[in-house]
Amino acid sequence: MNQNLRYLFFTLPAIIYVGVFAFYPSFDAIYLSFLNNAGQFTLNNYKELFYFNIYGTILNTIIVTVGALLIQLFLGLGIASLLTREFKGKKAFSTLTIIPMGVATIVAAITFSFIFQTTGGYANSFLHLLHLPTINWYSNTYISLLVVMISDSWKNTPIVTLILLSGMMSIPKDLYYAASLDGAGPIRRFVHVTLPNLKKFIAIALIIRGVSEFNIFALPLVLIGYHPALLTTLAYDLYSTTTIYLSSAAAVILLAFISVLIILNIKLGGKR
Amino acid sequence: MKLSYIAVIIFSIYFLLPLYILVMIAFSPAKYTIESLYPPLTFKSFTLNNLVYAFTQYDFIHPFIKSLSVATLVGILGLVIGIPAGYGLSRLPGKIAYPLLVLLLVTNMVPGIVVAIPISAEFIRLHLFDSIPGLALVQELITLPLATFIMQGTFSAVPREIEYQARIDGASTLSYFKNVLIPTALPGIIAAFLISWMFSWDEFTYAIIISPIHPTLPVEIYVNITRGNELAAVAFSLVFTIPVIILTLFLQKYLKGEYLAGGVKA
Repeated sequence: MNQNLRYLFFTLPAIIYVGVFAFYPSFDAIYLSFLNNAGQFTLNNYKELFYFNIYGTILNTIIVTVGALLIQLFLGLGIASLLTREFKGKKAFSTLTIIPMGVATIVAAITFSFIFQTTGGYANSFLHLLHLPTINWYSNTYISLLVVMISDSWKNTPIVTLILLSGMMSIPKDLYYAASLDGAGPIRRFVHVTLPNLKKFIAIALIIRGVSEFNIFALPLVLIGYHPALLTTLAYDLYSTTTIYLSSAAAVILLAFISVLIILNIKLGGKR
Repeated sequence: MKLSYIAVIIFSIYFLLPLYILVMIAFSPAKYTIESLYPPLTFKSFTLNNLVYAFTQYDFIHPFIKSLSVATLVGILGLVIGIPAGYGLSRLPGKIAYPLLVLLLVTNMVPGIVVAIPISAEFIRLHLFDSIPGLALVQELITLPLATFIMQGTFSAVPREIEYQARIDGASTLSYFKNVLIPTALPGIIAAFLISWMFSWDEFTYAIIISPIHPTLPVEIYVNITRGNELAAVAFSLVFTIPVIILTLFLQKYLKGEYLAGGVKA
Protein backbone atom coordinates (compact mmCIF):
# COMPACT_ATOMS: atom_id res chain seq x y z
CA MET A 1 0.00 0.00 0.00
CA ASN A 2 2.89 2.29 0.83
CA GLN A 3 4.18 1.64 -2.68
CA ASN A 4 0.79 2.52 -4.19
CA LEU A 5 0.76 5.76 -2.27
CA ARG A 6 4.07 6.62 -3.91
CA TYR A 7 2.63 5.98 -7.39
CA LEU A 8 -0.48 7.95 -6.50
CA PHE A 9 1.79 10.84 -5.63
CA PHE A 10 3.03 10.89 -9.26
CA THR A 11 -0.50 11.38 -10.55
CA LEU A 12 -1.17 14.22 -8.11
CA PRO A 13 -0.18 17.12 -10.42
CA ALA A 14 -2.58 15.85 -13.09
CA ILE A 15 -5.40 15.47 -10.58
CA ILE A 16 -4.82 18.95 -9.17
CA TYR A 17 -4.64 20.41 -12.65
CA VAL A 18 -7.92 18.80 -13.66
CA GLY A 19 -9.55 19.99 -10.44
CA VAL A 20 -8.48 23.59 -10.99
CA PHE A 21 -9.18 23.81 -14.71
CA ALA A 22 -12.18 21.52 -15.22
CA PHE A 23 -14.13 20.98 -12.01
CA TYR A 24 -13.75 24.38 -10.41
CA PRO A 25 -14.85 26.29 -13.56
CA SER A 26 -17.79 23.93 -14.06
CA PHE A 27 -19.09 24.64 -10.56
CA ASP A 28 -18.25 28.31 -11.03
CA ALA A 29 -20.42 28.34 -14.18
CA ILE A 30 -23.33 26.83 -12.24
CA TYR A 31 -22.83 29.41 -9.48
CA LEU A 32 -22.60 32.33 -11.92
CA SER A 33 -25.75 31.20 -13.72
CA PHE A 34 -27.78 31.96 -10.55
CA LEU A 35 -26.43 35.50 -10.09
CA ASN A 36 -27.58 38.84 -11.46
CA ASN A 37 -25.52 41.93 -12.23
CA ALA A 38 -25.68 43.01 -8.58
CA GLY A 39 -24.33 39.64 -7.43
CA GLN A 40 -27.63 38.52 -5.89
CA PHE A 41 -29.19 35.07 -6.23
CA THR A 42 -31.78 34.93 -9.01
CA LEU A 43 -33.54 32.52 -11.36
CA ASN A 44 -34.04 35.24 -13.94
CA ASN A 45 -31.19 34.07 -16.15
CA TYR A 46 -32.97 30.80 -16.80
CA LYS A 47 -36.29 32.57 -17.33
CA GLU A 48 -34.66 34.93 -19.80
CA LEU A 49 -33.37 32.00 -21.84
CA PHE A 50 -36.94 31.32 -22.96
CA TYR A 51 -36.86 34.69 -24.65
CA PHE A 52 -33.91 33.33 -26.66
CA ASN A 53 -35.91 30.25 -27.74
CA ILE A 54 -34.02 27.80 -25.57
CA TYR A 55 -36.34 24.89 -26.43
CA GLY A 56 -35.72 25.36 -30.14
CA THR A 57 -31.99 25.58 -29.47
CA ILE A 58 -32.00 22.32 -27.50
CA LEU A 59 -34.01 20.67 -30.26
CA ASN A 60 -31.58 21.91 -32.93
CA THR A 61 -28.64 20.55 -30.94
CA ILE A 62 -30.31 17.16 -30.60
CA ILE A 63 -31.18 17.06 -34.32
CA VAL A 64 -27.58 17.83 -35.30
CA THR A 65 -26.24 15.25 -32.83
CA VAL A 66 -28.52 12.44 -33.96
CA GLY A 67 -28.21 13.24 -37.65
CA ALA A 68 -24.42 13.57 -37.62
CA LEU A 69 -24.06 10.35 -35.59
CA LEU A 70 -26.19 8.44 -38.10
CA ILE A 71 -24.16 9.71 -41.05
CA GLN A 72 -20.84 8.99 -39.33
CA LEU A 73 -21.91 5.54 -38.19
CA PHE A 74 -23.11 4.61 -41.68
CA LEU A 75 -19.94 5.86 -43.38
CA GLY A 76 -17.68 4.54 -40.61
CA LEU A 77 -19.16 1.04 -40.88
CA GLY A 78 -18.71 1.09 -44.64
CA ILE A 79 -15.12 2.30 -44.56
CA ALA A 80 -14.10 0.06 -41.65
CA SER A 81 -15.49 -3.03 -43.40
CA LEU A 82 -13.56 -2.10 -46.52
CA LEU A 83 -10.38 -1.76 -44.44
CA THR A 84 -10.76 -5.26 -42.98
CA ARG A 85 -10.44 -6.72 -46.48
CA GLU A 86 -7.30 -7.15 -48.53
CA PHE A 87 -7.13 -5.24 -51.78
CA LYS A 88 -4.61 -3.45 -53.94
CA GLY A 89 -4.01 0.08 -52.69
CA LYS A 90 -5.37 -0.65 -49.23
CA LYS A 91 -2.53 1.15 -47.53
CA ALA A 92 -3.02 4.29 -49.62
CA PHE A 93 -6.76 4.16 -48.93
CA SER A 94 -6.32 3.80 -45.18
CA THR A 95 -3.96 6.79 -45.19
CA LEU A 96 -6.49 8.77 -47.19
CA THR A 97 -9.31 8.03 -44.78
CA ILE A 98 -7.39 9.61 -41.90
CA ILE A 99 -6.61 12.90 -43.69
CA PRO A 100 -9.66 14.89 -42.46
CA MET A 101 -8.37 14.42 -38.91
CA GLY A 102 -5.41 16.59 -39.84
CA VAL A 103 -7.62 19.34 -41.19
CA ALA A 104 -8.51 21.89 -38.51
CA THR A 105 -12.21 22.24 -37.74
CA ILE A 106 -12.09 25.89 -38.74
CA VAL A 107 -10.55 25.02 -42.11
CA ALA A 108 -13.15 22.32 -42.71
CA ALA A 109 -15.84 24.85 -41.80
CA ILE A 110 -14.53 27.44 -44.26
CA THR A 111 -14.14 24.92 -47.06
CA PHE A 112 -17.68 23.67 -46.59
CA SER A 113 -18.96 27.24 -46.46
CA PHE A 114 -17.59 27.62 -50.02
CA ILE A 115 -19.22 24.36 -51.03
CA PHE A 116 -22.65 25.26 -49.66
CA GLN A 117 -22.82 28.92 -50.60
CA THR A 118 -26.19 29.96 -52.01
CA THR A 119 -24.60 31.93 -54.84
CA GLY A 120 -21.31 30.73 -56.19
CA GLY A 121 -21.22 27.51 -54.20
CA TYR A 122 -19.63 24.32 -55.48
CA ALA A 123 -22.56 22.10 -54.48
CA ASN A 124 -24.91 24.24 -56.58
CA SER A 125 -22.31 24.37 -59.33
CA PHE A 126 -22.45 20.59 -59.46
CA LEU A 127 -26.26 20.54 -59.49
CA HIS A 128 -26.24 23.17 -62.26
CA LEU A 129 -23.84 21.03 -64.29
CA LEU A 130 -26.31 18.13 -64.09
CA HIS A 131 -29.15 20.52 -65.07
CA LEU A 132 -30.81 20.02 -61.70
CA PRO A 133 -32.45 22.85 -59.78
CA THR A 134 -30.08 24.56 -57.37
CA ILE A 135 -30.80 24.68 -53.64
CA ASN A 136 -30.76 27.51 -51.13
CA TRP A 137 -28.81 25.75 -48.39
CA TYR A 138 -29.94 28.16 -45.73
CA SER A 139 -33.60 28.55 -46.66
CA ASN A 140 -34.88 26.81 -43.53
CA THR A 141 -33.64 25.44 -40.21
CA TYR A 142 -33.52 21.82 -41.30
CA ILE A 143 -31.46 22.34 -44.45
CA SER A 144 -29.07 24.56 -42.46
CA LEU A 145 -28.68 21.86 -39.84
CA LEU A 146 -28.15 19.28 -42.58
CA VAL A 147 -25.27 21.38 -43.94
CA VAL A 148 -23.71 21.34 -40.46
CA MET A 149 -24.20 17.56 -40.16
CA ILE A 150 -22.59 16.87 -43.55
CA SER A 151 -19.61 19.13 -42.87
CA ASP A 152 -19.07 17.72 -39.40
CA SER A 153 -19.30 14.18 -40.68
CA TRP A 154 -16.54 14.78 -43.19
CA LYS A 155 -14.22 15.90 -40.41
CA ASN A 156 -15.16 13.23 -37.86
CA THR A 157 -15.92 10.05 -39.82
CA PRO A 158 -12.23 8.99 -39.50
CA ILE A 159 -12.51 8.83 -35.69
CA VAL A 160 -15.62 6.67 -35.86
CA THR A 161 -13.91 4.52 -38.49
CA LEU A 162 -10.86 4.02 -36.25
CA ILE A 163 -12.99 2.95 -33.28
CA LEU A 164 -15.13 0.59 -35.37
CA LEU A 165 -12.07 -0.80 -37.12
CA SER A 166 -10.40 -1.72 -33.82
CA GLY A 167 -13.67 -3.47 -32.94
CA MET A 168 -13.81 -5.38 -36.23
CA MET A 169 -10.20 -6.48 -35.83
CA SER A 170 -11.11 -8.07 -32.50
CA ILE A 171 -13.76 -10.36 -34.06
CA PRO A 172 -12.32 -13.89 -34.46
CA LYS A 173 -11.89 -14.86 -38.12
CA ASP A 174 -13.25 -18.34 -37.35
CA LEU A 175 -16.72 -16.90 -36.94
CA TYR A 176 -16.64 -15.71 -40.55
CA TYR A 177 -15.36 -19.05 -41.85
CA ALA A 178 -18.08 -20.87 -39.95
CA ALA A 179 -20.73 -18.51 -41.30
CA SER A 180 -19.40 -18.95 -44.86
CA LEU A 181 -19.53 -22.75 -44.53
CA ASP A 182 -23.13 -22.45 -43.45
CA GLY A 183 -23.75 -20.58 -46.69
CA ALA A 184 -24.02 -16.98 -45.42
CA GLY A 185 -23.25 -14.32 -48.04
CA PRO A 186 -21.36 -11.08 -47.30
CA ILE A 187 -24.50 -9.19 -46.26
CA ARG A 188 -25.74 -11.91 -43.92
CA ARG A 189 -22.25 -12.27 -42.46
CA PHE A 190 -22.25 -8.54 -41.78
CA VAL A 191 -25.69 -8.59 -40.16
CA HIS A 192 -25.28 -11.81 -38.16
CA VAL A 193 -21.57 -11.84 -37.31
CA THR A 194 -20.10 -8.32 -37.57
CA LEU A 195 -22.92 -6.24 -36.10
CA PRO A 196 -23.64 -8.31 -32.95
CA ASN A 197 -19.92 -8.53 -32.12
CA LEU A 198 -19.47 -4.85 -32.78
CA LYS A 199 -22.29 -3.68 -30.52
CA LYS A 200 -20.01 -2.52 -27.70
CA PHE A 201 -17.73 -0.57 -30.04
CA ILE A 202 -20.68 1.06 -31.77
CA ALA A 203 -21.96 2.15 -28.35
CA ILE A 204 -18.56 3.60 -27.40
CA ALA A 205 -18.26 5.45 -30.70
CA LEU A 206 -21.79 6.81 -30.38
CA ILE A 207 -21.28 8.14 -26.86
CA ILE A 208 -17.85 9.64 -27.49
CA ARG A 209 -19.00 11.27 -30.68
CA GLY A 210 -22.33 12.19 -29.11
CA VAL A 211 -20.57 14.24 -26.46
CA SER A 212 -18.43 16.00 -29.09
CA GLU A 213 -21.46 16.52 -31.27
CA PHE A 214 -23.30 18.29 -28.45
CA ASN A 215 -20.23 20.53 -28.07
CA ILE A 216 -19.97 21.32 -31.76
CA PHE A 217 -19.06 25.00 -32.05
CA ALA A 218 -16.69 26.24 -34.76
CA LEU A 219 -18.51 24.54 -37.64
CA PRO A 220 -22.00 25.95 -36.93
CA LEU A 221 -20.49 29.34 -36.06
CA VAL A 222 -18.91 29.63 -39.51
CA LEU A 223 -21.59 27.84 -41.54
CA ILE A 224 -24.84 29.14 -40.04
CA GLY A 225 -23.82 31.74 -37.45
CA TYR A 226 -26.43 32.08 -34.74
CA HIS A 227 -29.45 31.23 -36.94
CA PRO A 228 -30.53 28.62 -36.16
CA ALA A 229 -28.70 28.59 -32.84
CA LEU A 230 -27.23 25.54 -31.10
CA LEU A 231 -26.54 25.40 -27.36
CA THR A 232 -22.87 26.31 -27.84
CA THR A 233 -23.44 29.12 -30.32
CA LEU A 234 -26.23 30.53 -28.14
CA ALA A 235 -23.93 30.51 -25.09
CA TYR A 236 -21.17 32.22 -27.08
CA ASP A 237 -23.58 34.74 -28.59
CA LEU A 238 -24.86 35.61 -25.09
CA TYR A 239 -21.27 35.75 -23.79
CA SER A 240 -20.24 38.29 -26.41
CA THR A 241 -23.42 40.38 -26.40
CA THR A 242 -25.01 40.17 -22.92
CA THR A 243 -23.76 39.17 -19.46
CA ILE A 244 -21.54 36.38 -18.23
CA TYR A 245 -24.43 35.31 -15.96
CA LEU A 246 -26.90 34.79 -18.78
CA SER A 247 -24.35 32.99 -20.96
CA SER A 248 -23.43 30.79 -18.00
CA ALA A 249 -27.06 29.74 -17.72
CA ALA A 250 -27.02 28.61 -21.37
CA ALA A 251 -23.71 26.83 -20.78
CA VAL A 252 -25.12 25.06 -17.71
CA ILE A 253 -28.01 23.66 -19.76
CA LEU A 254 -25.41 22.27 -22.15
CA LEU A 255 -23.51 20.86 -19.17
CA ALA A 256 -26.67 19.14 -17.91
CA PHE A 257 -27.08 17.26 -21.20
CA ILE A 258 -23.39 16.36 -21.33
CA SER A 259 -23.52 15.08 -17.72
CA VAL A 260 -26.17 12.56 -18.71
CA LEU A 261 -23.94 11.37 -21.54
CA ILE A 262 -20.92 11.20 -19.21
CA ILE A 263 -22.83 9.07 -16.70
CA LEU A 264 -23.92 6.79 -19.55
CA ASN A 265 -20.30 6.54 -20.65
CA ILE A 266 -19.03 5.61 -17.20
CA LYS A 267 -21.78 3.00 -16.83
CA LEU A 268 -20.83 1.56 -20.19
CA GLY A 269 -17.12 1.89 -19.46
CA GLY A 270 -17.52 -0.31 -16.40
CA LYS A 271 -18.44 -3.18 -18.69
CA ARG A 272 -15.59 -2.57 -21.13
CA MET B 1 -14.79 -7.48 -55.19
CA LYS B 2 -15.48 -4.99 -57.99
CA LEU B 3 -18.06 -3.40 -55.74
CA SER B 4 -15.48 -2.69 -53.05
CA TYR B 5 -13.30 -0.88 -55.58
CA ILE B 6 -16.23 1.33 -56.52
CA ALA B 7 -16.78 2.02 -52.80
CA VAL B 8 -13.08 2.79 -52.32
CA ILE B 9 -13.18 5.28 -55.20
CA ILE B 10 -16.35 6.97 -53.92
CA PHE B 11 -14.96 7.30 -50.40
CA SER B 12 -11.62 8.58 -51.72
CA ILE B 13 -13.39 11.31 -53.68
CA TYR B 14 -15.45 12.15 -50.58
CA PHE B 15 -12.33 12.61 -48.45
CA LEU B 16 -10.32 14.54 -51.02
CA LEU B 17 -12.96 16.78 -52.61
CA PRO B 18 -13.04 19.52 -49.92
CA LEU B 19 -9.24 19.76 -49.96
CA TYR B 20 -9.25 19.92 -53.75
CA ILE B 21 -11.72 22.82 -53.58
CA LEU B 22 -9.61 24.61 -50.97
CA VAL B 23 -6.49 24.30 -53.14
CA MET B 24 -8.44 25.40 -56.21
CA ILE B 25 -9.72 28.56 -54.49
CA ALA B 26 -6.24 29.36 -53.18
CA PHE B 27 -4.52 29.08 -56.56
CA SER B 28 -7.17 30.33 -59.00
CA PRO B 29 -8.07 33.93 -59.86
CA ALA B 30 -11.12 34.96 -57.82
CA LYS B 31 -13.27 35.39 -60.94
CA TYR B 32 -13.18 31.59 -61.43
CA THR B 33 -13.93 30.79 -57.80
CA ILE B 34 -15.61 32.96 -55.18
CA GLU B 35 -16.77 35.65 -57.60
CA SER B 36 -18.49 33.37 -60.08
CA LEU B 37 -22.15 32.33 -59.87
CA TYR B 38 -21.46 28.70 -60.77
CA PRO B 39 -17.76 28.23 -60.11
CA PRO B 40 -16.15 25.67 -62.44
CA LEU B 41 -15.25 22.34 -60.84
CA THR B 42 -11.90 22.18 -62.60
CA PHE B 43 -8.83 24.44 -62.60
CA LYS B 44 -9.22 27.18 -65.22
CA SER B 45 -6.13 29.23 -64.49
CA PHE B 46 -3.27 29.25 -62.04
CA THR B 47 -2.13 32.20 -59.95
CA LEU B 48 -0.04 32.92 -56.88
CA ASN B 49 -1.53 36.40 -56.49
CA ASN B 50 -4.06 35.35 -53.84
CA LEU B 51 -1.34 34.05 -51.59
CA VAL B 52 1.01 36.98 -52.16
CA TYR B 53 -1.86 39.40 -51.51
CA ALA B 54 -2.99 37.58 -48.35
CA PHE B 55 0.45 37.42 -46.80
CA THR B 56 1.38 41.00 -47.63
CA GLN B 57 -1.94 42.67 -46.78
CA TYR B 58 -3.05 40.76 -43.69
CA ASP B 59 -1.28 39.96 -40.47
CA PHE B 60 -0.20 36.34 -40.63
CA ILE B 61 2.96 36.41 -38.59
CA HIS B 62 1.59 37.44 -35.18
CA PRO B 63 -1.20 34.85 -35.05
CA PHE B 64 1.26 32.30 -36.42
CA ILE B 65 3.77 33.00 -33.65
CA LYS B 66 1.00 32.95 -31.04
CA SER B 67 -0.29 29.58 -32.29
CA LEU B 68 3.24 28.20 -32.39
CA SER B 69 4.10 29.39 -28.86
CA VAL B 70 0.83 28.21 -27.32
CA ALA B 71 1.03 24.80 -29.00
CA THR B 72 4.64 24.29 -27.93
CA LEU B 73 3.84 25.29 -24.37
CA VAL B 74 0.85 22.94 -24.35
CA GLY B 75 3.11 20.13 -25.54
CA ILE B 76 5.74 20.80 -22.86
CA LEU B 77 3.16 21.18 -20.10
CA GLY B 78 1.59 17.92 -21.23
CA LEU B 79 4.92 16.15 -20.74
CA VAL B 80 5.66 17.81 -17.40
CA ILE B 81 2.32 16.74 -15.91
CA GLY B 82 1.63 13.75 -18.15
CA ILE B 83 4.89 11.80 -17.75
CA PRO B 84 4.59 11.38 -13.96
CA ALA B 85 0.84 10.81 -14.23
CA GLY B 86 1.28 8.20 -16.96
CA TYR B 87 4.02 6.50 -14.96
CA GLY B 88 1.97 6.46 -11.75
CA LEU B 89 -1.09 5.11 -13.55
CA SER B 90 0.90 2.39 -15.31
CA ARG B 91 2.21 1.12 -11.95
CA LEU B 92 -0.96 1.48 -9.87
CA PRO B 93 -3.28 -1.53 -9.62
CA GLY B 94 -6.30 -1.36 -11.93
CA LYS B 95 -8.65 -0.81 -9.03
CA ILE B 96 -7.09 2.62 -8.38
CA ALA B 97 -5.86 3.44 -11.88
CA TYR B 98 -9.20 2.86 -13.58
CA PRO B 99 -11.21 5.50 -11.64
CA LEU B 100 -8.39 7.97 -12.21
CA LEU B 101 -8.46 7.32 -15.94
CA VAL B 102 -12.23 7.81 -15.90
CA LEU B 103 -11.68 11.11 -14.09
CA LEU B 104 -9.37 12.26 -16.87
CA LEU B 105 -11.79 11.05 -19.53
CA VAL B 106 -14.63 12.95 -17.88
CA THR B 107 -12.73 16.23 -17.85
CA ASN B 108 -12.19 15.76 -21.52
CA MET B 109 -15.92 15.65 -22.05
CA VAL B 110 -16.70 18.85 -20.13
CA PRO B 111 -17.90 21.32 -22.77
CA GLY B 112 -15.26 23.85 -23.74
CA ILE B 113 -17.70 26.72 -23.58
CA VAL B 114 -18.77 25.84 -20.00
CA VAL B 115 -15.18 25.90 -18.76
CA ALA B 116 -14.07 28.85 -20.83
CA ILE B 117 -16.70 31.40 -19.75
CA PRO B 118 -15.91 31.41 -15.98
CA ILE B 119 -12.18 31.01 -16.65
CA SER B 120 -12.17 34.09 -18.86
CA ALA B 121 -13.60 36.08 -15.92
CA GLU B 122 -10.98 34.70 -13.53
CA PHE B 123 -8.18 35.28 -16.02
CA ILE B 124 -9.05 38.95 -16.45
CA ARG B 125 -8.56 39.29 -12.70
CA LEU B 126 -5.28 37.30 -12.78
CA HIS B 127 -3.93 39.13 -15.88
CA LEU B 128 -3.79 35.83 -17.74
CA PHE B 129 -6.53 36.81 -20.20
CA ASP B 130 -5.33 36.97 -23.81
CA SER B 131 -1.88 35.71 -22.78
CA ILE B 132 0.09 32.78 -24.14
CA PRO B 133 0.46 30.91 -20.80
CA GLY B 134 -3.21 31.48 -19.99
CA LEU B 135 -4.46 29.94 -23.21
CA ALA B 136 -1.95 27.09 -22.95
CA LEU B 137 -3.12 26.25 -19.43
CA VAL B 138 -6.72 25.97 -20.59
CA GLN B 139 -6.00 24.08 -23.81
CA GLU B 140 -4.03 21.59 -21.76
CA LEU B 141 -7.42 20.31 -20.63
CA ILE B 142 -7.96 18.72 -24.05
CA THR B 143 -4.48 17.33 -24.47
CA LEU B 144 -3.49 16.22 -20.96
CA PRO B 145 -5.84 13.20 -20.83
CA LEU B 146 -4.69 12.18 -24.30
CA ALA B 147 -0.99 12.59 -23.42
CA THR B 148 -1.47 10.70 -20.16
CA PHE B 149 -3.25 7.82 -21.92
CA ILE B 150 -0.44 7.50 -24.45
CA MET B 151 2.23 7.70 -21.76
CA GLN B 152 0.46 5.17 -19.57
CA GLY B 153 0.32 2.77 -22.51
CA THR B 154 4.00 3.30 -23.30
CA PHE B 155 5.20 2.93 -19.70
CA SER B 156 3.10 -0.20 -19.19
CA ALA B 157 5.22 -1.81 -21.89
CA VAL B 158 8.44 -1.13 -19.90
CA PRO B 159 8.97 -4.18 -17.67
CA ARG B 160 8.99 -3.54 -13.93
CA GLU B 161 12.02 -5.81 -13.55
CA ILE B 162 14.14 -3.07 -15.11
CA GLU B 163 13.00 -0.69 -12.40
CA TYR B 164 13.81 -3.21 -9.63
CA GLN B 165 17.18 -3.82 -11.26
CA ALA B 166 17.93 -0.10 -11.33
CA ARG B 167 16.91 0.20 -7.68
CA ILE B 168 19.23 -2.64 -6.69
CA ASP B 169 22.01 -0.87 -8.55
CA GLY B 170 21.31 2.13 -6.37
CA ALA B 171 19.52 4.46 -8.81
CA SER B 172 17.34 7.19 -7.33
CA THR B 173 13.86 7.77 -8.75
CA LEU B 174 15.15 10.78 -10.66
CA SER B 175 18.07 8.96 -12.22
CA TYR B 176 15.84 5.97 -13.04
CA PHE B 177 13.53 8.35 -14.89
CA LYS B 178 16.36 10.14 -16.64
CA ASN B 179 18.52 7.17 -17.57
CA VAL B 180 16.09 4.30 -18.01
CA LEU B 181 12.40 5.07 -18.23
CA ILE B 182 12.34 8.13 -20.47
CA PRO B 183 14.91 6.88 -23.01
CA THR B 184 13.06 3.55 -23.32
CA ALA B 185 9.70 5.22 -23.77
CA LEU B 186 10.95 8.02 -26.02
CA PRO B 187 8.84 7.22 -29.14
CA GLY B 188 5.65 7.33 -27.07
CA ILE B 189 6.72 10.54 -25.37
CA ILE B 190 7.45 12.22 -28.69
CA ALA B 191 4.09 11.06 -30.04
CA ALA B 192 2.35 12.46 -26.96
CA PHE B 193 4.12 15.79 -27.42
CA LEU B 194 3.28 16.03 -31.11
CA ILE B 195 -0.36 15.00 -30.66
CA SER B 196 -0.74 17.61 -27.88
CA TRP B 197 0.89 20.17 -30.14
CA MET B 198 -1.46 19.26 -32.96
CA PHE B 199 -4.64 19.52 -30.88
CA SER B 200 -3.60 22.92 -29.54
CA TRP B 201 -2.71 24.12 -33.04
CA ASP B 202 -6.27 23.28 -34.18
CA GLU B 203 -8.12 24.41 -31.08
CA PHE B 204 -10.80 27.05 -31.58
CA THR B 205 -13.35 27.26 -28.75
CA TYR B 206 -10.97 28.16 -25.93
CA ALA B 207 -8.87 30.34 -28.21
CA ILE B 208 -11.76 32.57 -29.25
CA ILE B 209 -12.96 33.06 -25.65
CA ILE B 210 -9.67 33.21 -23.73
CA SER B 211 -7.57 35.01 -26.34
CA PRO B 212 -9.76 37.13 -28.64
CA ILE B 213 -7.63 40.28 -28.89
CA HIS B 214 -4.35 38.72 -30.00
CA PRO B 215 -5.80 35.66 -31.68
CA THR B 216 -4.25 32.35 -32.67
CA LEU B 217 -4.32 31.32 -36.32
CA PRO B 218 -7.68 29.48 -36.26
CA VAL B 219 -9.34 32.52 -34.69
CA GLU B 220 -7.55 34.85 -37.12
CA ILE B 221 -8.89 32.76 -40.00
CA TYR B 222 -12.39 33.05 -38.54
CA VAL B 223 -12.01 36.82 -38.10
CA ASN B 224 -10.95 37.16 -41.74
CA ILE B 225 -13.98 35.16 -42.90
CA THR B 226 -16.38 37.32 -40.89
CA ARG B 227 -14.80 40.48 -42.34
CA GLY B 228 -15.18 39.16 -45.87
CA ASN B 229 -11.44 38.63 -46.50
CA GLU B 230 -12.21 35.22 -47.91
CA LEU B 231 -9.05 34.81 -49.95
CA ALA B 232 -6.86 35.65 -46.97
CA ALA B 233 -8.73 33.05 -44.92
CA VAL B 234 -8.20 30.46 -47.65
CA ALA B 235 -4.51 31.24 -48.02
CA PHE B 236 -3.94 31.08 -44.25
CA SER B 237 -5.99 27.88 -44.03
CA LEU B 238 -3.79 26.20 -46.58
CA VAL B 239 -0.52 27.10 -44.86
CA PHE B 240 -2.09 26.21 -41.54
CA THR B 241 -3.30 22.78 -42.67
CA ILE B 242 -0.31 21.34 -44.52
CA PRO B 243 1.98 20.76 -41.49
CA VAL B 244 -0.86 19.14 -39.55
CA ILE B 245 -1.77 16.73 -42.34
CA ILE B 246 1.88 15.69 -42.54
CA LEU B 247 1.98 15.22 -38.75
CA THR B 248 -1.25 13.23 -38.80
CA LEU B 249 0.09 10.82 -41.40
CA PHE B 250 3.36 10.57 -39.49
CA LEU B 251 1.53 9.81 -36.23
CA GLN B 252 -0.98 7.44 -37.82
CA LYS B 253 -0.01 4.47 -35.68
CA TYR B 254 -0.58 6.44 -32.48
CA LEU B 255 -3.99 7.67 -33.54
CA LYS B 256 -5.78 4.59 -32.27
CA GLY B 257 -9.41 4.21 -31.34
CA GLU B 258 -8.65 3.73 -27.67
CA TYR B 259 -6.51 6.86 -27.30
CA LEU B 260 -8.84 9.00 -29.31
CA ALA B 261 -11.70 7.85 -27.16
CA GLY B 262 -10.14 9.96 -24.45
CA GLY B 263 -8.99 12.91 -26.42
CA VAL B 264 -11.27 14.18 -29.10
CA LYS B 265 -13.32 17.34 -28.99
CA ALA B 266 -15.38 19.03 -31.63
